[in-house]
This record gives sequence, C-alpha cells and structure tokens, in this order.
Amino acid sequence: MAEVAEEKGQAAPEKVAAAKKKEAEKLGTQAGRKWPLKDEFTPEMLQRMEEILPAKLSRVVAASLAGCIHCGMCSDACHYSVSIPEDKTLLPAYKADRFRKWYKGRFDWMGKVFPWFVGARKLDKDLADEMYDKLWGGCTMCRRCTFNCPMGVDYGMLTRAARAIMCEVGRVPKHLQDTVDTHYNHGNNMAVPRQEFIETIEWVEEELQSEEGCENFKIPLDKKGARYMLTLNPREPKYYPLTIQATAKVLNAAGIDFTISSRYWDLTNYAMFNGIDSDAKLFASWLFDEMKRLEVEYLLSGECGHGYRGLRWEMANWLGGVPYKVTSVMELFAEVIGQGRIRLDKSVWKDDVFTYHDSCNIARSGGITEEPRTIILAAVDNFREMEHNREHSFCCGGGGGALAMPEFAGRRIKAGKVKADEIRATGATVVLQSCHNCTDQLKEICEHFKIHAKVMNLAELLSEALVLG
Amino acid sequence: MKGEVSYALYVLQEPVQYVCLGFMALMYAMKIRQLLKKPAPPEKAELKGDRFAGAVHSLANVLRPWGMESTRNHGYFYAEFVLFHIAVVLTIGSTFFIPLMPWVMTPFVSKVIMAFMGIAFLIGLRRIYRRFTTPEIRVISSPDDYFAVILMTVFFAVGFVTLGLWIEGRAETGWMWLFFLMTTFFLLYVPFSKISHYVLYPFGRVMFGQIFGGRGVLNRHQKA
Repeated sequence: MAEVAEEKGQAAPEKVAAAKKKEAEKLGTQAGRKWPLKDEFTPEMLQRMEEILPAKLSRVVAASLAGCIHCGMCSDACHYSVSIPEDKTLLPAYKADRFRKWYKGRFDWMGKVFPWFVGARKLDKDLADEMYDKLWGGCTMCRRCTFNCPMGVDYGMLTRAARAIMCEVGRVPKHLQDTVDTHYNHGNNMAVPRQEFIETIEWVEEELQSEEGCENFKIPLDKKGARYMLTLNPREPKYYPLTIQATAKVLNAAGIDFTISSRYWDLTNYAMFNGIDSDAKLFASWLFDEMKRLEVEYLLSGECGHGYRGLRWEMANWLGGVPYKVTSVMELFAEVIGQGRIRLDKSVWKDDVFTYHDSCNIARSGGITEEPRTIILAAVDNFREMEHNREHSFCCGGGGGALAMPEFAGRRIKAGKVKADEIRATGATVVLQSCHNCTDQLKEICEHFKIHAKVMNLAELLSEALVLG
Repeated sequence: MKGEVSYALYVLQEPVQYVCLGFMALMYAMKIRQLLKKPAPPEKAELKGDRFAGAVHSLANVLRPWGMESTRNHGYFYAEFVLFHIAVVLTIGSTFFIPLMPWVMTPFVSKVIMAFMGIAFLIGLRRIYRRFTTPEIRVISSPDDYFAVILMTVFFAVGFVTLGLWIEGRAETGWMWLFFLMTTFFLLYVPFSKISHYVLYPFGRVMFGQIFGGRGVLNRHQKA
C-alpha cells in the first residue's frame, strides 16, 4: 500500500471517512466549463478579435510583429519548411505574416495609409482562416526560427498571442481545447479521478516492489515535508504507468525524499498552447497550493517538454513568483549520477545504439541541454548525436499542442521528415527523449518513415541499467 | 561650404537636412515610446543564467556569423550583409561630412567610401534579383520590401557618382543635388518603411538575449 502520510495514526472509521471524502472531492473547478467552439469565423468574431488584439501586444509580441525584415533567413530553420519545401507558405515569416498583416493594418503608420505597400490587410474571414491554418496547424512554437532570426523575432510568443485571440472567440482546434477544458473541469487533462489515481500509484508501487532489489521502494502519496513533489504527465497513470515505475525506481535507488500529490499532480499545461493565460495560471496555482499544503521544498517536473517549461519558467510569471524551487527529473538524475548516488551497468544496453532528441521546450526554451547527456553517457556506451542537437535541435513536429490537432495530422507527420532523416543518419536503434508529446510524434514518424528504432525516455533508460543492492 | 556651393544647395545640405533629421528623430522617439509603453516580458523564475550577459551576447550576434545557423550556413549572405551595412553607414556619414566637415572627405577617404558604395550597389542588384526570383523570398515580399532595396541600390549608385565628381573638386553638381534630395527623402520616408528596422533591432535582440540568457541557453560557458 502506498504511504498516505496525512492519515498516519487515524482510526479505521476516520480512514474510511477520509477515503470517502477523497472519492467525493471534486477536483478542478467547481463550475464545469465547455468552451464555446466555432466552426468558422463570423463578422462578430472578427470584431471581437479586433477588440482583443491590443491587449495581446506585449513588448515582445509587438517588436516581433514590427521587426521582421523579410530577409528569409528563417526559411531553413523551420521543420515545416525544411521537411515540406514545396509549400512556400510554411516559411516562418510567411506564417507570421498572416498575423503581421493584420497588425500592420491596425498599428503600422504606413499600413494605415497605404496598406497595399507594406502588405497590410484588414482582418477578414480569409485572413483569419489563413491565421488559423498556419498558426495552429503550421507552427509548433518551437522557436528554432527565433534562434536563427537576425532581428530576434520571437515567433513562439507571436504565435501564442495569435492563438489566444482566436481561442478567445472560439476558433481553436477542438481536441486541444477539450484537453484544456478537461484539465479545467477535473484537475488533470485526462480526467483521472483522485481515487483512480491513488489506486494506480498503489498498483505501480506494488509492481515496483516486485522487482528484485526494490522490495522496500515506496511511492509516497501526500507525504508532508518531503523534499521533492514529483509531478506527472497524465498519460503516465493512464497509459504509461511503467514510466512512473521507472522514475520512482531511480528516485528510490538514489535515496531521494519525494512524494506525489494525490490531488493535483498534472504537470501539463495545454493553456500554453491555446494562449489563455488565465487558465495557465489556474492550473499552475493548483500545483502551487499542493506545494504549500505538503510543505515541499522542490517542485519536481517529470519528463515532459512543455510541462517542464511551464513549471520551471512560466509558472513564476503566471503566479507572480513562487516560494519554492523548481527542477526536473533530468536535472535531478544528472545530479545523483554526478554524486555517485546510483550505480549503473552499461552492459545492459550494449546491443543498442542511442541518440537523443532534445525537446524544444526542454532545451531551447528550457535551458536543459547537458543533463540528458550526463545521464545517457553514464548508462550507455553507444551514443550518437543527431546533426542538430541541444538548442539547435529541430522540433520533432509534436510540439505546440500539435498532437491534439488531428485535423493537421498529415502535415504534422510530413513535417517530421527532417527529424526522421537525422535519426536515420545516426543509425540509432533507440531514440531517447524526455517528453511525452515527443514520444508520440517520434513513434509516429519512425513508423511513417520506416525507421526501426524504439523510443524511450531517460527514466526507462536508467531504470534498466540500475545496479541495486 | 556655404561659400563653395550655391545658397540653394547649402539650404538643402544643411537646414533642410536638420529639419528632416529632427522629423526622423521625432518619429523614432514616438515609435520607441509606443513600444516601451507595452508590458515587458516578466521573468520571475529563478534564473539559470545571466540576463544582462545574454542581452549583450545577443546584441553582439551581428558580429558572430558562427552564432546562428542561418548565418553560419550562408556565409556569402552574411558577408553581403556586412558590406552592405558598412556602405550604408559610410554613405550616410558622407552626407554629414560633405557639408559639415568637407576636409574629412579627402580623395583617399572618398575613394574608400566609393569602393563600399560600388560593392553595395552590386550587392543591391543581387538582392533585387533574389527578391524577384527566389520563391521563398517572393512569397513574403511586399512592395515596401522591393522599394527599399531598389531605393538603397540607387542611392549607392548616385552616391558613387557624386563622390567621383567630388574628388574632381566639383562640389556642386546635378548628382550632388540628387544625392541630397534622396537623402532628404530618406529622412522623411525611412521612419515609415522597413528600413527603420535598425531602430527595432536592439529591442528584439535585447529581449531575446534576456529571455534565453536568463534561462541559461545562450553563452552557456558564462552561466553561473
């Protein structure tokens, strides 16, 4: 049984009552919500977008809208335009121009007087439709073009602002918004009830304890005063419980004092993708409250790209600062390896060749580039870098919520070609990564482009190689 | 200079330029004010790197062609960019030196500037060709993009001929008039065109550098 520290010392009837309370507790918001989605832009929606636009123009967004010189240097920085070269409308500058044209028509001096001269346009249904197509379905906000833009145009922030405006009037891909609504209504984006989550963790703990050398390993739930509060991607309890098992195994082996909240444990924040800051803030605040309730020192991000970025870099901005430290299992694993707190046997992976895919939100927007390599090199001998790695890595195509937009799936898969080519060139039999969206996309592109490689995360890599006892 | 050129050319070279320069400065001030009124990106998370060092690193990006894949892989394009912009600075500089400090514009200095103008003119021709013919560039180009590069190219050509005549001791020529009329037009037009990108450059680069410097992505060897 998982340890539920809150209940230590309670009498049996009180335990039953507490269990019932848990079962009955409504997580998420009390008043449920279904975002009103629209199939197409109407004049009223366009009018509303005009009203919203000024509020979305932060200094970064405004400078990015005004600053493009159409030099075209971004053309070979984007996985869409590189993988699908025949479609020139997938160039970052072209895609951003769908928003920029509107901005120029409203705020650029020349654009107001001679719109044709600077390519400014009034926001009409055609332009809005182009924005929808290119900025939802043609950009993963990976910021690789930003890193290759001489002017420092932040395409990620620009696209997010455009998405926020479209989302606010109801033009948002249904599945993406459903994911946000589910998180809003249930406290995690897969609507895992609290009791089901607890049972899953208990089952994972039992499975872990059945492994040789792991008999005493624990996955503590709601343990007050633990050093780390581990957060998870809902796909883990729902579909990939072995990932939780692997992570917990490494944490236990390293003697890490950690816990998982049974209430709010979802590290994802799809409001980063639809641009609605109030939702992003709300989801972050739930974890903030759990950190306070459990009196934990570190908020520990599991292996999830946007989730890590959301917790590590954006949460403090959404909430106006946080009184705890935020780190990730990638950093923690690298730290315990550096300290010699776990022993690894490389021979278990001697038959495989490994490469590592840097998630955009972990490396380029997150600053974690060396830690994964510390982990990998401690566990395997056969590691080969892709041509573009670390902050220069190409997006796999699964970022920006792309996996939650089935209407753009065909383009998403095609856009993975450059990544697939780089994986193939390494000759890797295992593609390592630290992000669930990347996992799904990498699996799909490996299958589509006929690459015979497994996709695995870092916890799974370490878990297998651990020397226990 | 007043004694060496007609009063009309003096008026064009000095008072008119000052007024137009003042107008340009005012427009830029308004642009910058508009931008600064917008909320800056917050960064309340515990930093992994140095935001200031990141900003400096990012601003100096222009001097590090190896720093970006886009310039690393297109060295020729980067070299063009450098020469073109040096020529811009020298050409604009000569519009100040000719009326205000003519002794600076010795034949040697003038020839150096002419060399850059000539090279920039050829680069301009290539850039015009590129903008008209490269599908990736055509699809993102507006009339402003075409006009800006054509205007600059013509300006370099006019400046080249003007300085050639200046070296011969001809301070007032039709070309000189054209050169300063174009300068006047530039001062009035540039704040409204893409050519004013240099005003936005520091904002874009500094914000980029602050964000990614603070996150420890840029200049990693310098991070704490």
